[in-house]
Amino acid sequence: MGLPDASGDLSSEMEVDAFRRLFPLRYFERHLSESIRPDARPLGRARDTTLALGAVASAHGSALAKIGSTTMLAAIKMEVMTPSTESPDEGSIAIDFHMPPICSPIVRPGRPAEAAPVISKQLSDTISSSGMINLKELSLVSGKAAWMAYLDIYCLDADGALFDAALLSAVAAFSHLQIPIVSLNDDGKIELISEEDDGAKLEVEPVNKEKRKLTLSSIPFSLTCILHKNYILADPTAEEESIMETAVTVVLDSSSRLVSFYKPGGPVLAHTSAVQDCVALTRQRVKELQNILDETLSGMEID
Amino acid sequence: MAAQGGAAPSTYTPTPTKKTQRSPFFSDSDVDWLRPDGRGFHQCRPAFFRTGAVNSAAGSAYAEFGNTKVIVSVFGPRESKKAMVYSDVGRLNCNVSYTTFANPARGLGSDNKEFSSMLHKALEGAIMLETFPKTTVDVFALVLESGGSDLPVVISCASLALADAGIMMYDLVAGVSVSCLGRNLIIDPILEEESFQDGSMMITCMPSRYEVTQLTITGEWSTAKLNEAMQLCLDACSKLDKIMRACLEEAASASQD
Repeated sequence: MGLPDASGDLSSEMEVDAFRRLFPLRYFERHLSESIRPDARPLGRARDTTLALGAVASAHGSALAKIGSTTMLAAIKMEVMTPSTESPDEGSIAIDFHMPPICSPIVRPGRPAEAAPVISKQLSDTISSSGMINLKELSLVSGKAAWMAYLDIYCLDADGALFDAALLSAVAAFSHLQIPIVSLNDDGKIELISEEDDGAKLEVEPVNKEKRKLTLSSIPFSLTCILHKNYILADPTAEEESIMETAVTVVLDSSSRLVSFYKPGGPVLAHTSAVQDCVALTRQRVKELQNILDETLSGMEID
Repeated sequence: MAAQGGAAPSTYTPTPTKKTQRSPFFSDSDVDWLRPDGRGFHQCRPAFFRTGAVNSAAGSAYAEFGNTKVIVSVFGPRESKKAMVYSDVGRLNCNVSYTTFANPARGLGSDNKEFSSMLHKALEGAIMLETFPKTTVDVFALVLESGGSDLPVVISCASLALADAGIMMYDLVAGVSVSCLGRNLIIDPILEEESFQDGSMMITCMPSRYEVTQLTITGEWSTAKLNEAMQLCLDACSKLDKIMRACLEEAASASQD
């Protein structure tokens, strides 16, 4: 695994590498003063982002998102539940974020990463408060049966900006989701109608003929920025996150409305102008991400 | 998960209306049948390997055999746990876990203790542990999707990840399993075939040295069948080895450019 910025002749390369390890903060500040980052990005630029849909064959919807080398695999499995009495015509979503030991040298088996439950909660809050999914669409038989969408996101490679990649994979998995056709049997249980005898002689009436896809309104996208002195670094790598600790995550929806804003402490206090700059960077990033998602989805339709 | 576990209502996966309970395999009459994926009995699934799947690991590999998809990361050699006593030779620490969506029915993504220990035993004979005294090499595997023959895929993938991490080994370790169904031997079984098997055999070996690191046999076998199955596995291992080596060579020539 060579360092991405390794360039020049060998002797100077060794010195740079030693400098980077011994004085990481000075190494970074030296770059920042030149308005560049060690991986050759300008301060406000996010890493290359790719999306692939349908990576998990056994799931009803799935997506693989990569931001730089941060990789997230999200998969949705649909199960049937009895809706609660307070909301008889609403389904439910359960989101879980996992950091298996393969993703980072910090995570060991049996000792889950501290960040995982935090990101899990952030994701649930963001997706429910953005209003992206109308839970009524997950209803099957009012008061009797509704869908429970289990969304599991696995971090396969942790290299910073975990929340951004996880959210992107989550929304992509929801847009890829294909809800199975089901019917209600005599015992009040929901049963699957197999695709083959679809349209032919159906003895049973499907309960969700029209509702195969969710209509996603106002999709949330996010950008995490690092604040360090007067600098704002968009989409940090794990190394940058470990050296400069103040992170701000802005979530905007596709029409640039603010969904949420996280600044979980940190030594740098954000001025109003810094907050505005973060939001402005996120607004640009949302357009990029929306394009990537649209392109990936239209690529799927052609196939 | 724990937070939601208590509050979440109990859910179930809808099952197909029509119960297709025809047994896909003929246990009494050995008529020729096709394997569900159209393979011949002695034909393995197309194998795909790629090293360097996880950048934050010292070495890693991704393997895909049909629907079986596995990622293995290798960390270290790094400091052993504080509780460990002094050791002249290095330690190997293995862990195999499954995602919640690995199996057709949603399960709890859990550690697989049995596979972890089998992985450890299959690899330790191939690694030159004396080259990293006092330290530990961690081999972590995540089964993204389980499509049958998971363990041999994990083992082959792990040996590639170790090679990618530059851990000294005597040879790569290739693993292949064979299922016995009635009178037939089928190699590299998928999940469905594994559920109908009468017996199974798995061999992990170092193909260049022609040495077996692990051999497990379960179920009902006759001696003749055993010999046949063993030869079948060893042949498949040496073919698998060629694919694995080609993957390493490709990665090495790509990094030189």
